[in-house]
Amino acid sequence: MIKSSRPKIYSKYEINSIVFYGTMFLFIPLVLVFTYVFDVEYKFDMNIFYLILGITTATMTFIGTIILFIKRDYLKRQVRANYMSEFYYLVIISIFGILGFIVLYNYLGGSPKYLGNTFIMLLVVFIYILLSLGRKYFNVNYRRKK
Amino acid sequence: MRKKQISDETLNRILKYLAIIILGFGVILLAIQFKSFWDWILNAIKAVIIPVALAYFGALIIFPIIKYLEKKGVGPRGFSLGIVFVFTVGLIFAAFYFFTPLLVTEIKNFFTDDFPIIVDYINNDLREEFILGTDLYDRIFAYINETNVIADAVDSFFPRLITSLSSSLIPLLTAFALLPILLIFYLNDYEVISENIRTIIPPKHEKNVAELTSRLNQTVGAYLRGQLILMIVLGAVATIVYKLIGLKYYFFFGFLVGVTNIIPYFGLIIAAVPPIVYTFIATSGPGPLLVLIVNVVLQFFEGNIFQPLIMSHQLSIHPIVIIISILFFGSLFGTLGVIFASPMAASIRVIYKFFKDLRAEKLKNNMAEATGP
Repeated sequence: MIKSSRPKIYSKYEINSIVFYGTMFLFIPLVLVFTYVFDVEYKFDMNIFYLILGITTATMTFIGTIILFIKRDYLKRQVRANYMSEFYYLVIISIFGILGFIVLYNYLGGSPKYLGNTFIMLLVVFIYILLSLGRKYFNVNYRRKK
Repeated sequence: MRKKQISDETLNRILKYLAIIILGFGVILLAIQFKSFWDWILNAIKAVIIPVALAYFGALIIFPIIKYLEKKGVGPRGFSLGIVFVFTVGLIFAAFYFFTPLLVTEIKNFFTDDFPIIVDYINNDLREEFILGTDLYDRIFAYINETNVIADAVDSFFPRLITSLSSSLIPLLTAFALLPILLIFYLNDYEVISENIRTIIPPKHEKNVAELTSRLNQTVGAYLRGQLILMIVLGAVATIVYKLIGLKYYFFFGFLVGVTNIIPYFGLIIAAVPPIVYTFIATSGPGPLLVLIVNVVLQFFEGNIFQPLIMSHQLSIHPIVIIISILFFGSLFGTLGVIFASPMAASIRVIYKFFKDLRAEKLKNNMAEATGP
């Protein structure tokens, strides 16, 4: 059988799900990375801070999942040729998310000696995931001519 | 062999061009005679153009948000404009409220903790660590002491700075004070103003001018929005990374990365110099090599990930064009010229491409007419 070269186009439901769960996965690192600049670790008890963040993330994920479920049929009918702006958003939050994981590593008492190594490992993993997601779901053409 | 005769038509054309050139020189000579008058006129034009141009650029950034709100049913225009305006003002105030204390504290700490160390280093340790040898250092120092070159430069620098600040500060302050008012009126009557401008244009060219304006708005708007996002993202990333590596004045240096990124290509290089110099002199914190590596990685990310993603390829201008435009517009309009050199270069490119397309279309139509039945 001849395999079609045309990429499959996904509906807004799949894209919104990826973007939403991606944001929720990176929510704690994202908050940590921005609060890190303001030295929150000296102003709050970090354990309580993590707990509040965890509860907020869980609640938001729950509410978001329900909204996605309710709007599923409507979103499934909406299709675009590519989802560049959603992909840009995902890339930008991933970059801050990676830095957030480094901050988390720092807060959890990780050795500063391996900060660079952790960063590179996370970067490689994230780039791989983003490239795969971009190609498969967001229809991003990486080899676009200038 | 007989020499080829110049036809009357060619001779006429040459004479016409010569007359135009001589007339042009005459006009320039006449204009030079009334320099003070032209300066007066040009200053008046400049005083109007700067706030209007700033309002236009601001509108290009904000108008799509208003349009989006209206599309979502938030209206009428006054209401959506009010929401965006309150939100923008709130954001600016919040940024000032949270970030100014951090910046002020860092600057204060620098002058109390590190500045005396730097002065001490230059006076004592620099001689031993001078890269070109102590002999050359002594000669340079002796020359400085003999000629008083630094004292003279400092003496002449401050009066010049005060003069230039007083001459440029008032128009700039006026421009920034007028900006919100101009923006509100411009955004409220965006379509009406565009329509009124269109009525001035002769009907023959109306379609072309409308097309060109639309292309210009699209390109320059996308560029400005992209640049703003790029500045915020890069400034934030640099601040966080600087703090992670333990750089003392991480907020100030990160802020510098964000602000200088407004100048394409040079911005990040300019922003990298102060932290590297600081780490050379500082007794604690990361080494200069680490800061250099961080900046190289940032530059790589900026050029290969952020810029193509945020600005998109449609706005890609050749680096040489950007450098030339920075030099040219910088010398024409000063700091504002350097900041807006890239959108101006992008606008020139759009205009050039528009006329090229127009010419191609005309040629195609002519060909179709010639070959038609």
